[in-house]
Amino acid sequence: MPELKATHSTLVIEKLPGDITVVGINVPGHKQNVMSQDFMQELKQVLTFLQDDPPRGLLVESRQSDSFLAGADINQMNAVWSLPSARLQELCDDGRNLLGMFASLPFPTAAIIDGVCLGGGLELALACDLRIVTENHKVILGMPEVKLGLLPGWGGTVRLPRLIGTGPAIELIVSGDAITGSQAKTLGLVDACVAGHSVRESACGVLKRAIASGDYLKRRAALQLPCVLNKSENDFLVATTGAAILGRTKGNYPAPMVAFNTIIQGATKSIEEAAVLESKAFSELAQTSVAKQLVRMHRLGERNLRDGGLGELSSSNSNQSLNINELQKPSVIGAGIMGAGIAARHVRSGFVTRLVDVDAKALRESIPSILEEAAWDRFYQRTDQKKIRELTGCLMSTTQLSSITDADIVIESVIERTDLKRQVLADIESIVSPSTIICTNTSTNPIATLANVFSDPTRFCGMHFFNPVRKMSLVEVIRGPETSDATISSVVLHAKKLKKVPVVVRDSPGFLVNRVLTPYLHESVELLREGVDPSRIDKVSRRFGMPLGPLELYDMVGLDTAFYAGLVMANAIGDRIDASPVIPALVKAGCLGRKTGIGFYTYKGTGHDTKIENINEKLDDLINPYRLVEERVTDEQICDRLFLPMLLESLLVLDEGIVRDGCDIDLAVIYALGFPAFRGGVFAWGDSLGATEIIHRLDQFSHLGPRMKPPARLLKHAESGQPFTSSKGNGSHTEKGCKG
Amino acid sequence: MTRLSRPPETTPVVVSCCRTAIGRSDVNKGVFRKVRGDELAALVVAEAVTRGRVVPECIEDVVVGVTQQRAELGGNVARTISMLAGLPFTAAASTTNRLCGSSLQGLSQACHSIMAGAEDVHVVAGVEHMQHLPMNSEINFHPRAFLKSSRAVLSMGLTAEYLASSRGISRKLQEEYALESHRRAAQAADNGFFKNEIVQCPGLNDGGVLSVIDRDQSIRSDASLAAMEKLDPVFLPKLGSVTAATSAPMSDGAAAMVVMSEATAQRYQLAPLVRVLCTAVVGVSPALMGMGPVYAIQKILHRSGVKLQDIEILEINEAFAAQAIACVEELKVDHDRVNVRGGSLAIGHPLGASGVRISTTLIHAMRDRQARLGLAAMCIGLGQGIAVIFESMG
Repeated sequence: MPELKATHSTLVIEKLPGDITVVGINVPGHKQNVMSQDFMQELKQVLTFLQDDPPRGLLVESRQSDSFLAGADINQMNAVWSLPSARLQELCDDGRNLLGMFASLPFPTAAIIDGVCLGGGLELALACDLRIVTENHKVILGMPEVKLGLLPGWGGTVRLPRLIGTGPAIELIVSGDAITGSQAKTLGLVDACVAGHSVRESACGVLKRAIASGDYLKRRAALQLPCVLNKSENDFLVATTGAAILGRTKGNYPAPMVAFNTIIQGATKSIEEAAVLESKAFSELAQTSVAKQLVRMHRLGERNLRDGGLGELSSSNSNQSLNINELQKPSVIGAGIMGAGIAARHVRSGFVTRLVDVDAKALRESIPSILEEAAWDRFYQRTDQKKIRELTGCLMSTTQLSSITDADIVIESVIERTDLKRQVLADIESIVSPSTIICTNTSTNPIATLANVFSDPTRFCGMHFFNPVRKMSLVEVIRGPETSDATISSVVLHAKKLKKVPVVVRDSPGFLVNRVLTPYLHESVELLREGVDPSRIDKVSRRFGMPLGPLELYDMVGLDTAFYAGLVMANAIGDRIDASPVIPALVKAGCLGRKTGIGFYTYKGTGHDTKIENINEKLDDLINPYRLVEERVTDEQICDRLFLPMLLESLLVLDEGIVRDGCDIDLAVIYALGFPAFRGGVFAWGDSLGATEIIHRLDQFSHLGPRMKPPARLLKHAESGQPFTSSKGNGSHTEKGCKG
Repeated sequence: MTRLSRPPETTPVVVSCCRTAIGRSDVNKGVFRKVRGDELAALVVAEAVTRGRVVPECIEDVVVGVTQQRAELGGNVARTISMLAGLPFTAAASTTNRLCGSSLQGLSQACHSIMAGAEDVHVVAGVEHMQHLPMNSEINFHPRAFLKSSRAVLSMGLTAEYLASSRGISRKLQEEYALESHRRAAQAADNGFFKNEIVQCPGLNDGGVLSVIDRDQSIRSDASLAAMEKLDPVFLPKLGSVTAATSAPMSDGAAAMVVMSEATAQRYQLAPLVRVLCTAVVGVSPALMGMGPVYAIQKILHRSGVKLQDIEILEINEAFAAQAIACVEELKVDHDRVNVRGGSLAIGHPLGASGVRISTTLIHAMRDRQARLGLAAMCIGLGQGIAVIFESMG
């Protein structure tokens, strides 16, 4: 019999004493091991060989640091969408059968997990008899498929409930959230969690004991059995979890509910029957547009994680390697809501962070909330008290700006007053070293206006976080007129270290997000002036999938803040959008939104418990002086009037080269505005209508003036039939990484 | 007579019982917001001993039910409560936890001791301060415990939602039940029916003024269906039917009683209030925790030979309106006999104290109405039930 080849393109085979074979995974060309087609084929060859020429035990491990297997290769998935349902089911069956080979090998198998173990990677680990994780903090385990609109299709919904119980399996699969190694140990998902240096020895030990006792066979048999709850527990689980999922998805995202039903139905059946259910459910989900949009979004996010975010916005337009610094010593100036949020994000991401505010009281009061936020345990949904104590040393607060001398990045986040910001920025530059990068967190101040206080403006840019920082993933990295590529790239890298999604934006009023938001907010007030009920406007927007309606958003932002931002925008795009007179009228009447308990709506409760009570009774009186001709509009027309102007503005943003391409806009509206991800962003939504249909719809609003006029770019799309999201559709910018 | 008749030496009797008024667990408005839980408990323990004319030196054990045993109620708090109350060091003490059934469990185990001829004179108490020590904080449940269940059973509110939806108990029905609980409790308070059981206790009023607290803070004389209809579901936002009005409020309070053998009571010439006839506990599916009382009652009836129709007054703890309705329906018992002075929905539910609280209210109602038999039962989180039958000695 021939020997098993020692090296394959993705696998390395090693023999250990005691006749234990090690399969080391090393998939080239990826930061994380992924289950590429090559990998799957080679794994099959190796397992087939081992079936015929069995060792006494098998160890599966990774030869890449911090990575076990990160699941399917998303880049290879584009080809999958167009497949007919039967072929999709076959693909699932093939993958599952391959992993199933582990469970029928005539010897015990163990997986050593020393890094990221997600999706198909976890399904592979589940197919082994034993799983051992290391204490490496990079170890995470999870099945994130529902976040892509899918479900685990290689036996995950079958094996996981049988191993850890139906309820816990549902939590893991339906949330898509990843857990740590020690959490996995507690759940029974893995058998042990040991230090990295001893994991091989431990794994060999458990394998040898399994070989000697033959216990693994009993375990395999037990895991074949259905997972039965009594009727009450089953009904309770179905009723409560079903309702919770519906509450979360609002019916817009099918995957969590389908995954849930698949697990519940499969749990009581044989594993073969459960597998059929899983394949069927996978193929159904894979054909939904929601899955396509979510996978696209994922890849856009990945693209931004991979590259420097510059594209053709680079000032040098050359490929010379930049001097990108990995920044280690951040200082945040200003302990207001934004500054505190930014500091918390840094502390949470492991940075020893200096927080400066001249107001000692404000500084002191911000610290508990910063530490609580930094130590928030997402798994248990509570603040980790021990972690707070650990993190205390990572937050240094001071009233002395002079203490930031050793900072390599300073993020200024004082209040939005240009003169104050200029003063603070000038002070910062005079204190820090010449190589320190200086950023401003601003939503309304042009970077150019602030940049001219610098003697070296190349090291200065905008870094615009969104409120609340803990929730909103987007960060606009704003290039000033003289910002260097190295500065931009370093800040982009820094944003990634903070687990934020950076989008590089050219300096212009409202930058990207507030620019495309403005027409939408403006239109909601115009509708009000035409006599449409405020709650109807918000309801239409929510039904579209927004987390808040536009008027609710006004109230949350604060009408005084919105008024000021609106002025800036009206100056910039005043040919289409005026500053609405209704907003200052509300501000004058003291209706500033949630913070005063009254805006477009009245509010009860405080903090996170704030809820809308009623429509502001004075609203009619306040709007009356500014009434427009009353229009009879359908809900559909309201929806079009809110969202089409956002699309039109986005097209203009592309024309002006404010971002490198439409992908970044889609990413930004989802991560900063909560634009419904299942619609794939403003351009993907536009594609679902088509340019011709959009022009047709705009036609009925032509009497509303220039803001509803189709821009040239839209006409071009209608003429060419080219979708907004295609590479050509984005004009000179290619949707690199967006297409398979 | 029942088949549980036993000689006076091993027949447990209650010689006194009392409670604090029950406060709301509100950091700004709770009447006991500045009073420690152990102090509340010590106050009623001392008062129960005094009211029972019990010679402190004869107390052999102090059993206190507490669910959140930490901080001011941590470290076998029964012992420090006993010391705070000035009981002699010779009285032993232990703290017991059967979640909501904790102090009814305390009463049960005291009775078992007496029945067995072991320790005789007991002080049984219960206390909870849900504002100082919120439910379930700093508890780390093992996820694998829920292998045959689900973690959602940790939310009592969801188990109530489940009972409501699976048994078709409408939101309106729940609200009508809660309204009736408030009506009965308010009427009882107004008529002075709680006067004999409530121990006056210093606390703060809404405005922060030091006051004598002798009225349950959560009872609303102005409760109305119109106000209840406006509330949002708490546990299943938008979809659910259980609201703050149809859930027992978070509460601070304590209750205590003295239990001993009938023979000892005779020896000291004390006048016992009731005999304890029988006790029972039962485990049920966690999702059905709200039905715990039904199974516990069925078990205790079987064990004691008492018939349900012979029990004139029942206290079935109201954790949720949906849960109380489900129990009343399942037992096919007339609601007029259940929680005659209102239940925990109105009076409040200081978890560990509630067992002795409902027993205290029951015993006083039995005496006022000259009822011969009374029963107290409770549902318990993660699927248990507990029940105790009392017999009057008038």
